[in-house]
Amino acid sequence: MTPRHHVGIIRFPGTNCDLDTWEAISLVPGLDPVWVSHKEKDAGDLAAIILPGGFSYGDYFRTGAIAARSPVMDLVGDFAQKGHPVLGICNGFQILAEAGILPGTLLPNSERTFLCQEESLVIENCRTPFTALFNPGTPLTLPIAHQEGRFFIDPDRLQEIEKKGQVLLRYLKNPNGSLREIAGLTNVTGNVVGLMPHPERRASSLFGRPDGLLFFQSLALYLERQSLRTLSEAH
Amino acid sequence: MTADTVSRFKIPAHEMERIRSLLGRDPNLTEEAVFSALWSEHCSYKSSRIHLSKFSSKGPRVLKGPGENAGVVRVTSRTGIAFKMESHNHPSYIEPFQGAATGVGGILRDIFAMGARPVALTNSLVFGSLRQPRQMTLFRRVVAGIAAYGNSIGVPTMGGEVWFDERYAKNILVNAFALGLVAEDGIMSAVPPPKPLLAVYLGNKTGRDGVSGAAMASRSFSDGDTDLRPQVQVADPFVGKKVMEATLTIIREGLAGAIQDMGAAGLTSSSVEMASKAGLGIEIDVARVPLRDFSMEPWEILLSESQERMLLLVEEARVDRILDIARESQVSAAVVGRIISDPVFRVRKAETVFAEVPVPYLTDEAPLYDRPARARIHSPSPSPHHFPSEAGRHSIVELFHRLLDHPNGGSAEWISRQFDFEVGTRTLLSPGHDVAVVDLREEEHAVAISMAGFSHPLTRDPGRGAMLLVAKCVTDLAAVGAWPVGLTDCLNFGNPERPETMSDFVLAVSGIADATKRLGIPVVSGNVSFYNETDGISIPPTPILATCGLLSDRRRLVPGKTFRAGLSLALAGPSHDLSLGGSYLDWILDEPEPDPVPQVDWETLARLQPFMSILLAGRTLCASRAIGRGGLLRSLLQIVSGGTTLGVALSLPRLDNPLQTFFSEAPGRILLAFEPEHARFIEQSAREFGIPLRTIGITVPHLWNIRYQDREGRSKELSDSPEQLKRRYSASLTGQMEELP
Repeated sequence: MTPRHHVGIIRFPGTNCDLDTWEAISLVPGLDPVWVSHKEKDAGDLAAIILPGGFSYGDYFRTGAIAARSPVMDLVGDFAQKGHPVLGICNGFQILAEAGILPGTLLPNSERTFLCQEESLVIENCRTPFTALFNPGTPLTLPIAHQEGRFFIDPDRLQEIEKKGQVLLRYLKNPNGSLREIAGLTNVTGNVVGLMPHPERRASSLFGRPDGLLFFQSLALYLERQSLRTLSEAH
Repeated sequence: MTADTVSRFKIPAHEMERIRSLLGRDPNLTEEAVFSALWSEHCSYKSSRIHLSKFSSKGPRVLKGPGENAGVVRVTSRTGIAFKMESHNHPSYIEPFQGAATGVGGILRDIFAMGARPVALTNSLVFGSLRQPRQMTLFRRVVAGIAAYGNSIGVPTMGGEVWFDERYAKNILVNAFALGLVAEDGIMSAVPPPKPLLAVYLGNKTGRDGVSGAAMASRSFSDGDTDLRPQVQVADPFVGKKVMEATLTIIREGLAGAIQDMGAAGLTSSSVEMASKAGLGIEIDVARVPLRDFSMEPWEILLSESQERMLLLVEEARVDRILDIARESQVSAAVVGRIISDPVFRVRKAETVFAEVPVPYLTDEAPLYDRPARARIHSPSPSPHHFPSEAGRHSIVELFHRLLDHPNGGSAEWISRQFDFEVGTRTLLSPGHDVAVVDLREEEHAVAISMAGFSHPLTRDPGRGAMLLVAKCVTDLAAVGAWPVGLTDCLNFGNPERPETMSDFVLAVSGIADATKRLGIPVVSGNVSFYNETDGISIPPTPILATCGLLSDRRRLVPGKTFRAGLSLALAGPSHDLSLGGSYLDWILDEPEPDPVPQVDWETLARLQPFMSILLAGRTLCASRAIGRGGLLRSLLQIVSGGTTLGVALSLPRLDNPLQTFFSEAPGRILLAFEPEHARFIEQSAREFGIPLRTIGITVPHLWNIRYQDREGRSKELSDSPEQLKRRYSASLTGQMEELP
């Protein structure tokens, strides 16, 4: 029997893609979703953490500003520091950026309106736990749904993240004014990933391609390999 | 009029007299405030109630009908859909962002008050012409307001309608529809059980916002109304979400006896209406109401329309658990009163009584008007063989371009992309379709929602126009294989004190009632918005309908567009009355002698859905779409909109009236796209079901070519570039909105 890996889904007040993320994780053999409260301080046996989309604390203030300072974020910081997989989707990405766990920031869209539409994307970095099953250059289609998704960073650090291959995903046609069409990003060590598009919304699909499922299947594969490695090291 | 007959709350003098004779004394300030709210048109339906009784809410699937926060209809063996539509026209004109956002918040509260989890929102929006900067601002801000609420609370806004028409410039319409899912054994009610119950307040604290909003929405606007902003409420979707989750938890744990949202006339209407339904009284202590502003007078607390608030009637033993849930959810809650056996509405502030009025005086004894109606003089109905707009006078290609270039005929993508239409991942058909389809995730069923609120047919003929709206909904639903299970409406009209408006209203209500009875569709909830009038000019009669249909197998659903070339195109449905009266073309041309509004072939219409179900079950279709706004040509453009270069090649027989063929919006017709190998099965099914069917052409890349013969037998050809047509279609609204800063 395959061991089940617990994937923690953090619920902040105002998170609203929590159930969709739960459903997507449930579709992947080997992964077991569990809820994590915004007050949680103990990672327990979590193998990975996901910060889903939504409007944490209403996002009346700068997006993610309040959530990034809630108790659970100490846990997320430690967890990421130890090299465990962390994924922030949409508001989750905004929170990770606000908390300084991912570089840069996400500003209001250049058109200043909310944008909900499908985007053609190209994946560039396939060395993270969430992208292992992709090939670099693979085109994919995922929906975006955000008002504040314009990636911004100072020129020096932009050069740095480009040089280190931290750009994970780029829009084919820039919808929101993001620098260098950046739609997704990873940290230097490659274990933390932020995505503005919503992979959980394309985990299954009646008409289109379920491009989003691969992100979660990648995670399952990564965790599987990790546990095999741990096992063999133990022997 | 003497000074003492003038009401501080603008209650008409004759109603003040009635209040005095009922009470046998003068009402005090607080009591007068209570009467002003509950006797307002908005709360009492005093001008419409007599006529609304024509609607039938009966049906084997109906679990809850009118009188509740929302109607509920069974859709699977254990689940019902709760749905309702409401207007927020007046507030949205004054403060478009907050007005629209609170409209969404209010309709969502109606849904979760029933114990249903909201899973879909739609809307119908009507504005004046976008050539006016003021309309541009109203439009932009209304869309942003709807987006702000729906996106944040996490309920997808799946679709809707928009219409720009100068006659609405001073009275825009913002109607919001919501649908939720509820287990049949978990349905909540606004009718309390006959037990001693306490009144528990749950949600946002009360402030001065929206005081007397219901009364404001029951009056016409005039130039003197320079600042009505204190009567507009402020939305807080974040608190709304917390209140929603807390309410659903309370209902799931079986803690509440009855729930009503504090909508129009806030605490007053929710408490009085629930007590009235039980035939009991209620006592409220305003000193215990959670306040944002402690200087508020009792009457202000009673009439405040602060948002995100619910009123629960609960047994005393359950109160502690409810207060715990509220604390966990970080929302305010307090016991503010109790049900009393004496049927009076008593308002106290600690020990001082501020109002004491028998409940029946506020509800059953509220005025009921059978207002005089006088039909408008319509231009004499021309004979059906009179063709006012011959093809000779208008080039069909040019007309088609005009229809597409107007924002009314273009793509509404500029609107829908601002709405999160996918959160919850139940969205099976996204915006850009005529219906929104919601996955029920149970027994493979899905629910389709069709909105119809095009007023032009009603301007031409209110009765027949209203029937046409019902028929349009049923056609839209049939196109995806769904059969109608329930309807809700929002009846937007002008000043009911004008006999012409009243006549329009009566005719429209009769038309909807007649059509829904013919088709066996229960009208389970609804809302009336009168006084859409400014400086004596009323809006055209605008009932907006939302019809819910059930799809038995979501896996058989096909979209309303395709990207594939080489598919056959066929038109299913009757074509004997293709009159142009009331159509979009009729609106654009505005001929002095219009065609009559087409009559509906009810029998064929009723057979459309089973016919479509057979085609879908046999997996014979690639795309299907009802012939809608703009007629056949626009629907053709939409069905090939899956790809940027896909067009059509059509070969049509001799046409007596090409304008009707290309632009009629007569209901009951569906455009089908399918692999040629399925043609025989489709034709055979059409014969079996008695549905007229004509194969008209194929889908082809890079070509838009339509050949036909005119009445004289001359060969005609319409040629265009599909790429250019699609550019026109997508640019007419979006281009206009993006050009400005």
